[in-house]
Amino acid sequence: MPGTESTLNLTINGKPYAVTAANRRTLVDLLRYDLGLTGTKEGCGVGVCGACSVLLDGRLVSSCIMLACQADGAEITTIEGIAGPDGELQPLQRSFIEYGGFQCGICTPGQIIAATALLQEMPSPTEEQIKEWMMGNLCRCTGYYQIVEAIKAAAVPA
Amino acid sequence: MTLTSIQFNVVGQPVPRVEGPLKVTGQARYAADFNPPGTIWGKCLHSPYSHAGIVSIDTSKAERMPGVHAVITGADTREGSLWGRGVKDAPPLAFDRVRYYGERVAAVAADDEDLAQAALEQIEVEYAEWPAVFEPFEALRDDAPILHPDFNSYFGFKYKQTTPSNIHHQTRLERGDVEQGFLQADVIVENTYVTQRQSQGMLEPQSIVVSIDPEDDRVHVWHCNKVPYFVRGALASAAGIPAERIIVHPTFIGGDFGNKGNSRLTPICYYLAKASGRPVRMISDYKEEFLAGNPRHHVVIQLRTGVKRDGTLTAHTVNHVVNSGAYAAFKSYGTIAGANEAAGPYRVANSRIDSTFVYTNTVPGGFMRAPGEPEGVFAIESHMDEVARRIGMDPVEFRLKNLIVEGDETAFGERLHDVRARETLVAAAEAAGYGAPKAPFVGRGVAVGERGTGAGEGTVEVRLEPDGRAILGTPMFDQGTGTYTTITQVASEELGIPPERFEIEVWDTDELESDSGLTGSRGTHVNTLAAHSAAVTARNDLVELAMEYLGWPSGSVVFSDGKARRSDTGEAIGWEELLARCGQTVRARAHTTASRSHRTSFVAQVAEVSVDPETGEVSVLKFTTAHDSGVVVNPLGYQGQVNGGFQHGLGYALMEELVVEDGRVTTLSFGDYKMPTVRDMPPLNTVVLESEQGEGPYNIRGIGEAPCIPVAPAIANAVQDAVGVRIRNLPITAQKVYDGLRLGSPR
Repeated sequence: MPGTESTLNLTINGKPYAVTAANRRTLVDLLRYDLGLTGTKEGCGVGVCGACSVLLDGRLVSSCIMLACQADGAEITTIEGIAGPDGELQPLQRSFIEYGGFQCGICTPGQIIAATALLQEMPSPTEEQIKEWMMGNLCRCTGYYQIVEAIKAAAVPA
Repeated sequence: MTLTSIQFNVVGQPVPRVEGPLKVTGQARYAADFNPPGTIWGKCLHSPYSHAGIVSIDTSKAERMPGVHAVITGADTREGSLWGRGVKDAPPLAFDRVRYYGERVAAVAADDEDLAQAALEQIEVEYAEWPAVFEPFEALRDDAPILHPDFNSYFGFKYKQTTPSNIHHQTRLERGDVEQGFLQADVIVENTYVTQRQSQGMLEPQSIVVSIDPEDDRVHVWHCNKVPYFVRGALASAAGIPAERIIVHPTFIGGDFGNKGNSRLTPICYYLAKASGRPVRMISDYKEEFLAGNPRHHVVIQLRTGVKRDGTLTAHTVNHVVNSGAYAAFKSYGTIAGANEAAGPYRVANSRIDSTFVYTNTVPGGFMRAPGEPEGVFAIESHMDEVARRIGMDPVEFRLKNLIVEGDETAFGERLHDVRARETLVAAAEAAGYGAPKAPFVGRGVAVGERGTGAGEGTVEVRLEPDGRAILGTPMFDQGTGTYTTITQVASEELGIPPERFEIEVWDTDELESDSGLTGSRGTHVNTLAAHSAAVTARNDLVELAMEYLGWPSGSVVFSDGKARRSDTGEAIGWEELLARCGQTVRARAHTTASRSHRTSFVAQVAEVSVDPETGEVSVLKFTTAHDSGVVVNPLGYQGQVNGGFQHGLGYALMEELVVEDGRVTTLSFGDYKMPTVRDMPPLNTVVLESEQGEGPYNIRGIGEAPCIPVAPAIANAVQDAVGVRIRNLPITAQKVYDGLRLGSPR
């Protein structure tokens, strides 16, 4: 059927992609099942839990409630694109490990993406600003305390 | 956190998660991340009735749709008998009848998820609706519809029905003379408490991929399940195939909290893969997880207690009625704890505990973190406050008078070892400033619980290679509690090899006959035992090699700090060099079975809340949790368990409720089912009473479940302290407190 799919040009983690996808394909499904970038997770499926967070032209979005075709032409950063090109972990990734900012790890890609966006916006957030920003990312394991500590540790000292 | 001076080198240190780099880079692979070539999507059709006969199912339209590869119904899965964890009363797909709104009645496998959904809509099912029953006391009435007329033919139930009934388990436990005990009482207090259904809320819903290899007929399973050997056995039995044909592959598990011990989609996914000849992926999206998952149970608990004016308990009865939902299959052996917990860890000579599990036409309950205990403890710990207030005693003083001490028997006749109930409560009260002055509308509440350390079997292999690799083999699939790090610490401790040198090798189910997996606060107990035993064997093997290959005299060789050392000459050789020189691999595998411990771990908590007198909204200002522990193997992981457990308790206390109206779950997304976010978490003060009384070589005790247990009653008691309103049915919403403020409630 004409008009039910589109060819999309995306830049994901610095790499160009040209893919054909159904217009109703969600961005998370495109990333996970068409492109094999399974680091992005789907939790609630309705944009509440934040597990599917990615950066779209630097903005924090929920990829489970965004259509892939809406991302045409955009630059996307997923969890696979956070570490350095040689695989070197970034300060946030290291501090999540050091401070116990995860347990099962299913929400962790989304937490790190959201925290990355936070530190780009506010390099030295207060604890209250961290909580305000991160309340869109649910975690069922940690009670969040060690996530907040990890983000504080990775932030630029105020 | 306060720690005592018990010191090892690596055990007791905050060693970061060994799997950390995988989890912070997106490389950790969970079940839904496995994508064998040709994988298609499976999806289930759910019943639109709470109780109905299935008159007919017509799948022909769905089958004819292009891109649909299989359509199955209960007729296809019926062969393999009923499904369950220990007791079997649940059909994978309903046949003849449906017993709850949302029950799975058919499944399809299609090229993609949307097509699978479209195909489900083409399945025509004719139902004959029957009367349904949703509340346990209604289900106990003589005229109630019977959900399971064939109950006595089911596998695994100890209880037999003498007449058709909705009761699937019933016990009575009596000590002393209850009637006499009530006669001795100055005051008798009687209350009924009701707990709500709670979702485990793990962010990874149940996910599974099944692929049947056409070459050798082996069934490959990737599934987020913490008991993979159970999955293998249960699927073998359901599919009527030998267990050796099934291989369950390791995956990371995206949160468990009890949910990932059952595997309700396994037989359905297998039959879809078999019928389609394709690998099939099923992901129970969150709507399905809420609609047809296995939440913490709705329980009604009636307590009656006789007490003297001086605070002495004379009699206590418990009537504990569990709304099991439509099936008992999703809890091991069909039951949960809670009835005994509702008798409390208190001295009372005369007691009676009645426990009844009742089928109703609602979503079947399952296991969730400390199954049954937050329910029972909400009742007893709220009630103990009410009893104390009735005789004008301070709730802490009243508990300190009645909590068991070493040598006492509990109400259910168990004599626990190394009992530190009172010490734990005192520590919590002191740390919380329990007696300090309070502002208006601020209250403090205490509650106490306890949880034993789990038992079971475990296997660990230590393998040291001549190329310098140090490998730890394990059958456990990680669900986030840090077990890979724990066994690494143990091997490191015993061998003197730094933790970062070890690699973890997770086995598929071809490796062993059996393993009990990660459940019931057993992980650290069982696996430190196995890891210790394997590491000690490896150490002895290295000593033997030094004697054999270097000619060092017997009796003069020891192994420490990663080196074999010759005591008579002072020579030393590192393990890598030793193995390189002799070209040998050291492979030490230990299998251990730990029996149930009579030690328990007490937890005492103090909530400080403020209540808005205008709206009834409860804010937790701070929370203190004190834990009676053994040696803490990893303070970082231990604190994580405490924090996460508290979060579950906080949600249970204040906001989480899987709402069921007229038998239907109506909270069908995380928009409606509210879980705590980072902004809901109050300051948490953790007090650890470490000790050298524990299990295994390092004297440990479990911590996974205790922290969630008394949170709700601590908060309920604080609310009463703040504004005099007593909430006896969870969760403690602003509406209920507001109603209590308006209508008045006994102070």
